[in-house]
Amino acid sequence: MARIIIPFPFRKHTENRREVDIEGESLSQVIKSLVLRYPGLKTMHDQPALLSVFINGRQVQGQAGEWDNVPLRSDDEVSLIIPIAGG
Amino acid sequence: MSELEHAGRIDLPATLWQEILGHCRRKLAGEFLPGETPVRRAYGILAGTLSGDVMVVRLVLPVKKNARSVEPFRSYMDQVMAEHAVESTTPMDKRGWITDPGELRACFQRCDDEGLMVFGTYHMHIVAWDGDPTRDTPTRLDTVLARGSNLVSFIISMVDEKRPSMRAFYEGRPDREIPINITG
Repeated sequence: MARIIIPFPFRKHTENRREVDIEGESLSQVIKSLVLRYPGLKTMHDQPALLSVFINGRQVQGQAGEWDNVPLRSDDEVSLIIPIAGG
Repeated sequence: MSELEHAGRIDLPATLWQEILGHCRRKLAGEFLPGETPVRRAYGILAGTLSGDVMVVRLVLPVKKNARSVEPFRSYMDQVMAEHAVESTTPMDKRGWITDPGELRACFQRCDDEGLMVFGTYHMHIVAWDGDPTRDTPTRLDTVLARGSNLVSFIISMVDEKRPSMRAFYEGRPDREIPINITG
C-alpha cells in the first residue's frame, strides 16, 4: 500500500488529510484509485501535463500517460505536485 | 470545504512584511541569488496558522526558480497568456511565473514539517496601467491562474517603491478580498 502525500491546496478534497494510503501496483493505478476515493481530486487529475510526481523524493520522469509502467512498492511514499502559477 | 475560504482577516507581522519587501527590492535591483532565475520579478509563498477566522502569517518562503521557459509549463503558460493576458510592455513569453515542482515540493514539505498551512503566493506589480495607478489588485490573468487553487493571492504594489502596499484575494478574485493587518 503506497502512501500518497496530498499537496496542501488539494486537501480540501481529502477531508484535510495530508496522507492517504492507497492499494495499487503501478503509479497510474494508484492515482486512479485515489481520484475514485476522492472525486474532488479530478481537477488535479485533469491536468496531466502539469502534474508532477515524486516517489520517495525522486521525481518521476515522463507524463501521466507513461505511468502504467512505473511500479510501486508497499512502502513507497508518493508526492503529487501541481505547480502554482501567477501573473 | 476550505478553511481559508472563510478567513476574515490576515495578520502579518511587520518583520515578515519587511522580509517580503526585501525580496521584492532585491529582485528589482537586479541582485540575484545562486540558483535563482534572473528576472526582476519576485514570487513567493506565505504560510502560517489559523486562529479562528484569522490567518496569522508565520513564514515567508521566497521562490527561486521560474519554470516558465521549461516544457510542459511553457506551452501551458503561453496558452493562458494568449487567452487572458492584457498587452503590456513586457513580452508575453517573459510574463508569468510557474513554480518548479521540486522547489514547490520542498516548500510544502517544510510547511508540513513546521505544522504550517500554506496560505498562498505573493508577487509584485511594478508598472502603473491606464486607469489603475497602484496596480494593487489581481489582473484577469492572476484570477485565471489562481482559479480553484484554494490559495490566497497576495498582490504587492511596487509601482511607487517608496510607498509599497499589499492586498490579499482568495483565489485571486477581486470580489474576495481579505483585509491585511500588519502587526507588531
